[in-house]
Amino acid sequence: MTARNVIPGPFPAAARPREEARPGPRPDPRAGVEPTLDLRGVTTRFPGEDGPITIVDDVSLSVRPGETLAVVGESGSGKTMTFLSAIGLLPPPGKVVSGQVLLDGTDLLTLSTEELRRHRGSGISMVFQDPLTGLNPVFTIGDQIAEVLRAHKPMSRSEARRRAVELLDRVHIPDPTRRVDDFPHQLSGGMRQRVLIAMAIALEPRVLIADEPTTALDVTVQAQVLELLAELRDEAGMAMVLITHDLGLVARHADRVAVMYAGRVVERGPIEAVFDDTAHPYTVSLFESVPHLDSDSAADLRPIEGQPPNPAFLPAGCAFEARCFLGRGREDCLSRRPALGAAGSGGHEAACHHAAELRKGEGRP
Amino acid sequence: MTYYLSRTLLQLAVTIFGIVTVAFFLMRAIPGDPALYMLGDFATEASLQALRARLGLDLPVWEQYLLFVERALTGDLGRSVVTGQPALKEMLAALPWSLSLAVAGLLVAVVIGVPLGILSAIKRGTWVDVTIMFIALLGISFPVFWVGLAAILIFSHQMGLFPALGASTQPGFWVQAHHLVLPALVLGLSVAAYIARLTRSAMLEVLGQDYIRVARAMGVPEKRIFFRLALRNALIPILAVVGVTFAWSLGNAILVEVVFSRPGLGSTVLKAILARDYQLVQAGVLILAAGVVLINVTLDLLYGVIDPRVRQG
Amino acid sequence: MTDVATDTAFDGDALRDREGARRRRRQAVRRYLTHPAFMIGGTVLILLGLVAIFAPWIAPNSPLKTNMSLILAGPSWEYPLGTDQYGRCVLSRLIFGTRISLQVAFWVVTISLTLGTFIGALAGYIGGWIERAIVVVIDIVLAFPGFLLALALVAAQGSSLQSVIIAVAIAYTPRVATVMRSVVLTIRPRPFIEASHAIGLGHLRILLRHVVPNAMAPVIVVATVSAATAILAEAGLSFLGLGVQPPTPTWGSVIADGQAVITTNPSISISAGLCIAVTVIALNLLGDGLRDTLDPQMRRQTGAKML
Repeated sequence: MTARNVIPGPFPAAARPREEARPGPRPDPRAGVEPTLDLRGVTTRFPGEDGPITIVDDVSLSVRPGETLAVVGESGSGKTMTFLSAIGLLPPPGKVVSGQVLLDGTDLLTLSTEELRRHRGSGISMVFQDPLTGLNPVFTIGDQIAEVLRAHKPMSRSEARRRAVELLDRVHIPDPTRRVDDFPHQLSGGMRQRVLIAMAIALEPRVLIADEPTTALDVTVQAQVLELLAELRDEAGMAMVLITHDLGLVARHADRVAVMYAGRVVERGPIEAVFDDTAHPYTVSLFESVPHLDSDSAADLRPIEGQPPNPAFLPAGCAFEARCFLGRGREDCLSRRPALGAAGSGGHEAACHHAAELRKGEGRP
Repeated sequence: MTYYLSRTLLQLAVTIFGIVTVAFFLMRAIPGDPALYMLGDFATEASLQALRARLGLDLPVWEQYLLFVERALTGDLGRSVVTGQPALKEMLAALPWSLSLAVAGLLVAVVIGVPLGILSAIKRGTWVDVTIMFIALLGISFPVFWVGLAAILIFSHQMGLFPALGASTQPGFWVQAHHLVLPALVLGLSVAAYIARLTRSAMLEVLGQDYIRVARAMGVPEKRIFFRLALRNALIPILAVVGVTFAWSLGNAILVEVVFSRPGLGSTVLKAILARDYQLVQAGVLILAAGVVLINVTLDLLYGVIDPRVRQG
Repeated sequence: MTDVATDTAFDGDALRDREGARRRRRQAVRRYLTHPAFMIGGTVLILLGLVAIFAPWIAPNSPLKTNMSLILAGPSWEYPLGTDQYGRCVLSRLIFGTRISLQVAFWVVTISLTLGTFIGALAGYIGGWIERAIVVVIDIVLAFPGFLLALALVAAQGSSLQSVIIAVAIAYTPRVATVMRSVVLTIRPRPFIEASHAIGLGHLRILLRHVVPNAMAPVIVVATVSAATAILAEAGLSFLGLGVQPPTPTWGSVIADGQAVITTNPSISISAGLCIAVTVIALNLLGDGLRDTLDPQMRRQTGAKML
């Protein structure tokens, strides 16, 4: 898998190898198409001991049919919570306090629990990180797929089973008529993730959220699973959200990217713009924390120093200030929280007081 | 499945051998001369000698042990010093009483405890949960013999609904069943409290698993999640809970039998202890432990039925 | 970046750390203070401890002195809860009974926790055939109902406070060991233990420095559960006349004495039962509170294995 060895270096863009696979910046073919899923100003809070803690802060994201939006950030940056908020599966006592989640124009946040349940699986579906724990160990995989099917449409047992076999075939599980009666522990990790994907697409949802779908899998299987997801997206014109911290995946599989930090979107835009013309110091640091496989030396690897801030005690200024090579100790970074602002063309935006400085190539470590 | 079955049976053999060993050494825990202990200070030297010879106390310890194991495995658990009857026979006579109490108590415990525990988990954090858990807390905190006394006071003496004695000299199923109600309820409710608490946490643990989140994300209705998906997973820890509480309830059964003056293994063992009839004590302890082991083996086999991972080893 | 900026930033870090630590401590304290179960259980237990310590000063009468002219008397100023069939002050017997129950609880917890922790930690840490052997032995002992085992041991050793403590402790040690082993098993694969091996720390030091401190949270919860179990077991033994011998006042023996007169004077048995229940409820509340506060992950392992 040579593709694995092409995790992009930060900048300049000169030798970014993803262009081998998908050449050149291209005009956005979907400009003007209505987004399938449109999050507007979603804000999610948990009650804390010193008042509510904001886990997702005014997040706006959208994804159009046939498009893949990558959401990147360290663990705890709120990327998963954003989408759990969207599908109404926040762990209690979390609550979405404001914003809209439009699925083809319907605001999911205004629906009743039962109406929202009907949309889950059929309108918007999710694939989770760990395929080993995502399947119920005491039911056959056929049973579990059938359970999803029958949750949405009345269907006989034999009909559900027939559909389950078709779906297993669709996600390229060999010998599906036999496999349908297997228990999860009889399948490999990659096969289990395929089963989970089969469940997620069983009702042909319009949006598929894949939350780190390949983190628990080994490298060759990772690529196969992502190819499968891309294939399903293209065949059905599904919109896809790929939550990940692997920038290599982003480069190869996404059309647009949103970078999250401390519950906020700090940079977003078309993939080429964000990779080649990075406008937020956090994104720069993320790139640098990824190993360059073209050099064996670990010296090039620069982990981001410090810890993400405690969401219960966010500073008044920029949340990244304490770890930032550019803004650390600067007056404006300490006092004012930067808002998302245009950084270049094509909807490329960043939330940094010194984005212009960074884009000129100043202040880099 | 064959592998699983043979492994379980091997474990059973090892455990049975182990409890025989423990029962043997339990008797060695008596300081001084067991014969003197059994016959009392006024025993004649001749009778002491005779008893020592019969118990094999004049042999080296390891020979005594081998003899004991050999006899125990052939069903010879010695004789009662008091009645002269074979200990096994005395115990087998008491067994139906204990068995009926244990089964009835367990039935009460499971029928009340499991549904309340599940309800509590589903309604987590609501007043339903708080109420059930408060009652369960009371249930595990009152001594079972005290609850028995209170039950006799209220339901026999004041209301006259049930007899104060846990057994009748008259034969007949309905007569005996009527006498069994209070003891079974008292024993069962204390166990139900434990089962409810542990079932709740087992259910909560299952509800926190990834596969439940996946089912929710796919829009599977909550009812299906609770009563089909989660319940089958929770059944394994719930069965384990029932197994553990069974051993524990046999301990409580001794107290219940005493309070209700009901014959049974527990009260036979207690009488034997008070009469220093140690061979009888040994036999009783052994049979009770064997009962616990049998229940646990049965449950182990049930896990295999529920959980495919266990079945295939 | 200028030197000045770096300096202020470092100061900022130090400040953040100090504040963070203080904040965490404050939060932990507040978590305990606002947990109703923990507070109620803790307060009741402290009060009971004071009652036990100051029993001779609190009790209105001697718990042993019989007053044959006042048998089964109702409540009065001199005998607030009346007298039993030997003319002894029920309240004073209950107050002194606190001492036996709390002593048994204390020593059983100390002994079974020390032994159980050692055996369980050893099994979980060493692994291999030693672990398997220990597990088999524990399983065998667990086949005996705990109360029955305590009963048989007390019967063999003769009834005294000491033998009650030893019998109950022995009967419940395997349960503590089971919990400890499962705790250690979850800690063993953690990277810091491997790291300690790598830098050549001895086994005993690893066990003492890393494994034991990490297992403290579950151990504390186990302690409260076994204290509750010990009190109930002691009361049961006393009730059967196999516990601490008369005329020493214990709650179990007050219930047993009251049983003879339960139709005419039910308050004797009832009040003693309430004493036991209040103590056990307090211990369970404290245990539930500690469990919620210390470590939400260990909810299941303790409890089920402690019966």
